[in-house]
Amino acid sequence: MTEPLAGRPLLQIRGLHKHFKEIEVLKGVDLTVHEREVVSIIGSSGSGKTTLLRCVNLLEEFDGGEIVLDGESIGYRVRRGRRHRLPDRLLSRQRAMTGMVFQNFNLFPHLTALRNVMLGLTKVRRMQRDEARVLAQTWLGRVGLAQRMESYPSQLSGGQQQRVAIARALAMNPKLVLLDEVTSALDPELVQEVLATVKSLADEGATLLIVTHEMGFARQVSHRVVFMDKGQIAEQGAPAEIFERPASARLAEFLGSARR
Amino acid sequence: MDRFLAQLWMARDAIAGGVLISMEAALTAIVIGSLLGLVIGLLLVYGHVVLRVLCRIYVDIIRGTPVLVLILAAFYITPAVGLQMDAFQAGLLALSLFCGAHLGEIVRGAVQSVPHGQTEAGRSIGLTFPQILAYVVLPQALRQALPPWVNTGVELVKASTLLSVIGVGELLLKTQEIVGRNFMTLEFYAVAGVLYLLINLGIETLGRNLEARVRP
Repeated sequence: MTEPLAGRPLLQIRGLHKHFKEIEVLKGVDLTVHEREVVSIIGSSGSGKTTLLRCVNLLEEFDGGEIVLDGESIGYRVRRGRRHRLPDRLLSRQRAMTGMVFQNFNLFPHLTALRNVMLGLTKVRRMQRDEARVLAQTWLGRVGLAQRMESYPSQLSGGQQQRVAIARALAMNPKLVLLDEVTSALDPELVQEVLATVKSLADEGATLLIVTHEMGFARQVSHRVVFMDKGQIAEQGAPAEIFERPASARLAEFLGSARR
Repeated sequence: MDRFLAQLWMARDAIAGGVLISMEAALTAIVIGSLLGLVIGLLLVYGHVVLRVLCRIYVDIIRGTPVLVLILAAFYITPAVGLQMDAFQAGLLALSLFCGAHLGEIVRGAVQSVPHGQTEAGRSIGLTFPQILAYVVLPQALRQALPPWVNTGVELVKASTLLSVIGVGELLLKTQEIVGRNFMTLEFYAVAGVLYLLINLGIETLGRNLEARVRP
């Protein structure tokens, strides 16, 4: 899957800076993701990759730089030369443009699988109940859970829960889907079913930004792989280049340790 | 035994009236206190820092004061500041404030026990803050709060006996009056004890049914 992409830029991150207290986690990140492109971010823990993803979903505030999603600058507006965080209502609307799948699933435990998917449809997309139910059923069917729609999260395996979470994110019809280490909390035998689901999304042309530790998967599914190191993008390119011919010693070292 | 039954029959209206007033006081205080507690609990977690401090002061003062003192304070302070209240209303004020403070702390704990990932998941699908509260956080938190909430209800029924001190004719005061007439001390305090027990068993059964119903 390394054919060149002609899609227009959907996500543009420019000069992103972020620090927690005195620690600078993002030191000026520039990244563009095109429509229908699948980009994987790899790097050791603490490199800032999850924080980057959370900034795009506006779950984290950032201190400098700009994130433009589909032509709209998100999270902040500048008024009289000063940056202001947007009000909750606008942030919510912008968050709905992206879908996020979390490492720990974060399903709503008091709702069935079906209701988990329906909640955003009825409350955010303001669909009628019946319409929302049909769409939720369709998505749960696509992730292979047509038989478990009335189950509560506690009655599902980790892999099944994560697939519900994927259906919940995708049913909202987001422009961009963010996947944050979606298999890290899973037992080894459940990893493949979730990866297969993500792969099917990629094959159908969804735009995906993936943070992952699964190197084989990143290589297989991505158009482009980005290596982050110490809050910056150290290297990026087609999967074959990144994995076969790492330019920097740091990436070679990281890949060496990841393989072990 | 015959004499006791005859006295009981004579006192039936007084006892029934006392039960009604006790239950009215407890139930009204639970309703008002629950609304107050919900608001206080949410402000303790999400409120602006000034509101948070004010709520914290309210909760700590009320929880640190004996209910009897609260009742006496409500009874003597309200007329002093120009509020026209009868004994029942003053007692109700004290019980409601007491209930609100306890429930506020219970709601705070329950809301904070919902993992932050739940709020983030709600945000990530585009829910606004009030929607996250209504559909994600509170349904989970209130389930957590249900057992201590029932417990607070039982505490209120028991605390309502203290209203006898300011002359509210609830079950304990009525019982005292009856005993004052017939001197059957043990018998009639036993009657009152059994009635309180029945009321509280009723509340606990109600609570258990509610818990069973909301458990996913």
